Amino acid sequence: MTIPLDPNITPPGTGRFRDAGGLPADKWRAIRGEETLVPTHCCFCGVQCGMYLRVHDGKVFGVEPRDHDINRMRLCPKGLNAYQQVNHPDRLTAPLYRKSRADDLRPVSWEQALDVTAEHIQRIQAEHGRDAFGMLGGASLFTEKTYLVGKFARVALRTRHVDYNGRLCMVSAAGANKLSFGIDRAANPFADCLLTDCLLIAGSNVGECFPVMTQYLWGARDRGAKMIVVDPRETSIARTADIHVALRPGTDAAFFNAVLHVIVTEGLTDEAFIAEHTTGWDEVRAAAAECPPERTAEICGIPAEQVFQVARMFATAGKAMAWHARGIEHHTQGVENCLTVINLCVATGNLGKPGAGYGTITGQGNGQGGREHGQKSDMLPGGRNISDPVHRMQVANIWGIDVEDLPQAGTSMMEMVHQMRRGEIRGLFGMCNNPFVSLPNYHVVKEGYDALEFHAQCDFFLSETAANAHLVLPVTSWAEDDGVMANAEARVVRHRKAQEPLPGVRTDTWVLCELARRLGAGDKFEFANSEQVFEELRIASRGTVNDYYGITYARLDETGGIAWPCPDLDHPGTPRLFEGGRTYHADGKVHLQAVRWHPPADPYDDTFPMSLTTGRTVAHFLSGNQTRRLGGLVEQTPRPWVEVHPSHGFANGDAVTVVTRRGAATFPALVTEAIRPDTVFVPYHWPYPVAANELTIDALDPRSKIPEYKVCACRIEPADAVTVVPAPPMPPGREPYADTQRSRGELQPPTSSQGRGTSQP
Amino acid sequence: MRPVIVGIVTALVLCAAIFLGSRGLHNFDSALAPYAIASVFLAFGIAYRYMVWISSPGARRLFRKGWGAALSWQNLRRTPTALPRMIATYLGFQKFLGARSRSRWAAHQLIFWGCLLAAAITFPLTWGWFTFTANTGAGPQYTMNIWGFGVVKFDALSVLGWLLFHGLDLAAVLVIAGATYFLIRRMRDREASTGQRFGYDLVPLLALIIISVTGLLLTFSSVFLHGGGYEFLAVLHMAAVVLTLLYLPFGKFFHIAQRPAAVGMQLFKYTGHGEIRQCRNCGEPIDTTAYVDNLRATMRDLKLDFDSLAEVCPRCKRLRRGQAYRTTVKPGF
Amino acid sequence: MMGRTIVIDPGRCIGCQACVSACRECDSHRGKSMIHLDYLDQGGSVASSPTVCMHCEDPVAPCAQVCPAEAILVTPDGVVHDADKSRCIGCGNCVNACPMGVPKIDLEAKLQFKCNLCYDRTSYGLAPMCATVCPTGSIFYGTLEELRAERPGVEVASTFDFDGSIISTGVAMVVPKGRPDQPLPGGAGEHARVTGSPQPAGHLEPSADNVLGEPL
Repeated sequence: MTIPLDPNITPPGTGRFRDAGGLPADKWRAIRGEETLVPTHCCFCGVQCGMYLRVHDGKVFGVEPRDHDINRMRLCPKGLNAYQQVNHPDRLTAPLYRKSRADDLRPVSWEQALDVTAEHIQRIQAEHGRDAFGMLGGASLFTEKTYLVGKFARVALRTRHVDYNGRLCMVSAAGANKLSFGIDRAANPFADCLLTDCLLIAGSNVGECFPVMTQYLWGARDRGAKMIVVDPRETSIARTADIHVALRPGTDAAFFNAVLHVIVTEGLTDEAFIAEHTTGWDEVRAAAAECPPERTAEICGIPAEQVFQVARMFATAGKAMAWHARGIEHHTQGVENCLTVINLCVATGNLGKPGAGYGTITGQGNGQGGREHGQKSDMLPGGRNISDPVHRMQVANIWGIDVEDLPQAGTSMMEMVHQMRRGEIRGLFGMCNNPFVSLPNYHVVKEGYDALEFHAQCDFFLSETAANAHLVLPVTSWAEDDGVMANAEARVVRHRKAQEPLPGVRTDTWVLCELARRLGAGDKFEFANSEQVFEELRIASRGTVNDYYGITYARLDETGGIAWPCPDLDHPGTPRLFEGGRTYHADGKVHLQAVRWHPPADPYDDTFPMSLTTGRTVAHFLSGNQTRRLGGLVEQTPRPWVEVHPSHGFANGDAVTVVTRRGAATFPALVTEAIRPDTVFVPYHWPYPVAANELTIDALDPRSKIPEYKVCACRIEPADAVTVVPAPPMPPGREPYADTQRSRGELQPPTSSQGRGTSQP
Repeated sequence: MRPVIVGIVTALVLCAAIFLGSRGLHNFDSALAPYAIASVFLAFGIAYRYMVWISSPGARRLFRKGWGAALSWQNLRRTPTALPRMIATYLGFQKFLGARSRSRWAAHQLIFWGCLLAAAITFPLTWGWFTFTANTGAGPQYTMNIWGFGVVKFDALSVLGWLLFHGLDLAAVLVIAGATYFLIRRMRDREASTGQRFGYDLVPLLALIIISVTGLLLTFSSVFLHGGGYEFLAVLHMAAVVLTLLYLPFGKFFHIAQRPAAVGMQLFKYTGHGEIRQCRNCGEPIDTTAYVDNLRATMRDLKLDFDSLAEVCPRCKRLRRGQAYRTTVKPGF
Repeated sequence: MMGRTIVIDPGRCIGCQACVSACRECDSHRGKSMIHLDYLDQGGSVASSPTVCMHCEDPVAPCAQVCPAEAILVTPDGVVHDADKSRCIGCGNCVNACPMGVPKIDLEAKLQFKCNLCYDRTSYGLAPMCATVCPTGSIFYGTLEELRAERPGVEVASTFDFDGSIISTGVAMVVPKGRPDQPLPGGAGEHARVTGSPQPAGHLEPSADNVLGEPL
């Protein structure tokens, strides 16, 4: 027997350093003086924290906190790891092409790639009509690029089928805001939280999805504000809230109507405000009257007492604010859920004042800016309506095209997938999205994409969707180009180019302009850089509700961010809307909308008695194509899990299969009392076969067309083995950077929903 | 008081060894006397400092356990190769440094072998233990004598002869390369420069470089300048060496004397293998039973009364303290 | 308690582990993260708490006291540093003697690592990385006055009771208003069992094979 020499024993956790999988960015370095700090913002969520990228020798190699007044130096784990994407070994650096899906993707030159794309577009459109070629954009693109996506689809492709992944994210809130206020953005800046007396957070796991926003919540509480959290799970902000309403998923409208009912019956409404600034109050009051607290509490699965508590706490507070996110928006009643929250704020007179108001927290970095300038199927730049003849004429003039050539409104993202299955859309150009992970009902999505004759996808890592495409175009990450984004407060912030694009990589702007040239629309796409696009965008938005005219790169550099509307160069921007109670409707009033609750689309029965709800975890972002490649984040949360209540008899780590009418997937159980017994939770960042979106329902809100991610009927069953997480896709012949994937084989659930504790083995 | 006595005794022993090894100072080169005297002070310093060091409870207990393990007949019979292998890997090839950084390991190896070579040549020379004699006056046939006994006969023009006469130059080159790397690192690297102290971190490197450079210049002077400036350089070199030797026990260089404790510690844990102390709370292994008992005894020596906590793993310590805070101090916001 | 120091408030912690990623980005930590983030109430709630070095003042730095190689330096400003690389022999005494469970160890490199209050930053007046980025202020760095300016009337404590032995630390913790000036529970003894489900994963059977590593 060989006796080993090194005693190799150390107590749990003391020998692990979370060293970020070998830091693939540019290896670890800290040489004095040899760095430039480039002020920019995070590429991830809608908070848009300021940060410095550390650059040496033309390469981003680190991050440094930045005292920007959005985040005041704070960053979340995603933001801290974001820089590692820029020089990541998994980056795509050459276009990849194949004639059919039976072949392997192989590198081609940019010339070939663009020529082939143009040929396919022209062939498909010649054979099947212009609308047979679709385009899908994304809300993590800079605003300039989202503008270009819309313009490219309408002017170069001349197709009506253009939409974007904000359809999965923000559209319910957008719809509700437009209906009530005539403007689509949060009414108050984050900083107003610090002035409020009562915060209502509905359907938002702020602590995990917008961690840096938590400081505003805590800041409010430090000053004595009360906090109400409405969420089926006891999240990190719900844990310590004054009231945590753990309602049954899909019953939000009923709950908020019942709260309004109590407010009305107890005489806590602000009658003067209602009389002066609203229309439609009588209908709203009548709808609320149909929701007595006792019966509603039964629907929601909560004690009736909580309805009264919430109503009194919110309505009697001097100044109250409500913030909501996907939790109430991802429903077939998404728009209406948001309307009930708006009704609550308006009925209590909490609107347009410091510390009193309403806000929606955008999920994607440019969730706000990305939906303003025309990549949405029914919208044109400046938030214009594509069906409005006046708006069409304005935009046609700005773009220098015949208004007859401007396509009509198209369909939403999920509807486009169904059109692909039916052969109505035969070609697709995707940019900055990963529907194979992010769209509901994965099998249908796969079927739709597989039916495409030609599918091109732009990304900087090979996403699950791109891996299924005919053509993949490697484009820049956020640190390799200039641009602006608008955060959840509608504050337009400036992202700066920190390094040159990697060799072989082009900007999305260049790709669209080159393609437009090949499609014969080159004269409309003569943009050398983002700033030139922004200059056109400013003019295109001039005089609209979403007025960017007064915003320039130079002003953004001076101020650190300007909230639109900003109609002229001297205008300071509009951080807070509705001051004096005036909205953006022609009559200046809030158009209150009555809402009647209906059950979720997926019916419960004996075989599917429980609710499945999905969401995010703090270490990962959206479809995970970026974060699943960053070692530190993979270490923190290597795999998805299913959160179940102990009453089901599972032990922590047991393999549990979640079955819905659309599919089944097996995860390790994270057994916790922090979730309702009738509900299970699965995070959605991972691809098939560990995809939450294999299970979710593709039912859409009739108005916003948002899918009902947040509730569907399911059952849970014990399983034999946990499904292993697949490796992130890579082009043929390349492997994902091994050090970053060390923990991916983990079969146990994380210690808590936020990830594995640092001493978990 | 004890450290002083041990220091004096050590110095006296060295004096006696010099006297005997140089055949009653017959082979003693009086030109090198300052070096020899400095080495006597060095012996005092090291012994004194070592005694002070091992008088602290942690070091004292480990010193005993380490030597106990090394000198145990039972251990020797069971694992005869363990000690030599540990010495080779930890002290010679410094495998652990490779795990910290490969370039630092390489640079440290250069300094280590350079210094070892230099010490192996110079100390016996200054003590009059080595002498070179030639039968024919000016060579090239030489005999190398240790303690006056002829050991090796060699030709000064052969490779071995060149190495023997230029060993110090070779050592100087190795040391300069290694020390320069570390010096540059100390100037540039933020991690290395954090909290660095001139006297502790930079002086040793500067000393090594000055000694090596002046040593090389001596050779340069005798070979190319026909001894030009030799006297001045010799004084400079001597001053540098003497000061460094006097400084050695009290600065960073003392790690040379401390590092063997790593072998003692390792051997102590190694020979106690198989018997593991588990966390009282979660049952995960902490370390060998003998080691944990030794640590507890050390803590008691130091009047750290919470020594029983050493039997709870760090994770459980944190979880229990966190739970206690959460349940009895502040449950929520 | 030191002048400018870290103040921890686990009640504010959302367990996001920004501190864990940030710790790695501090230049003096060389890509290694040393902070601990523990989920305290597994199976019950998402409660969590970060642990940085508490920089013990009385008794001063037990880790440094038990170190057999004089490797842990305590600077006059009260900061207990990580191990001197030329001295540390990787014995693990500090790891197991620390009543707070702070130091980490790289057995292969024979080197201890622990929170050094980001000395490369704090010695120039900046805040440590974890406290700079903490999205919730659960890890705060500054003076007591600065803390109270942000959180009116907040109280802190910086003594811990481990079964009767009192340790006062350089790092403080927030306590509720009106709590009498008494030490915080150290969690020793029987009064604070770890509740919730058992440790979820990776139980290592204690046997010689697991204790002894790769042959040379």
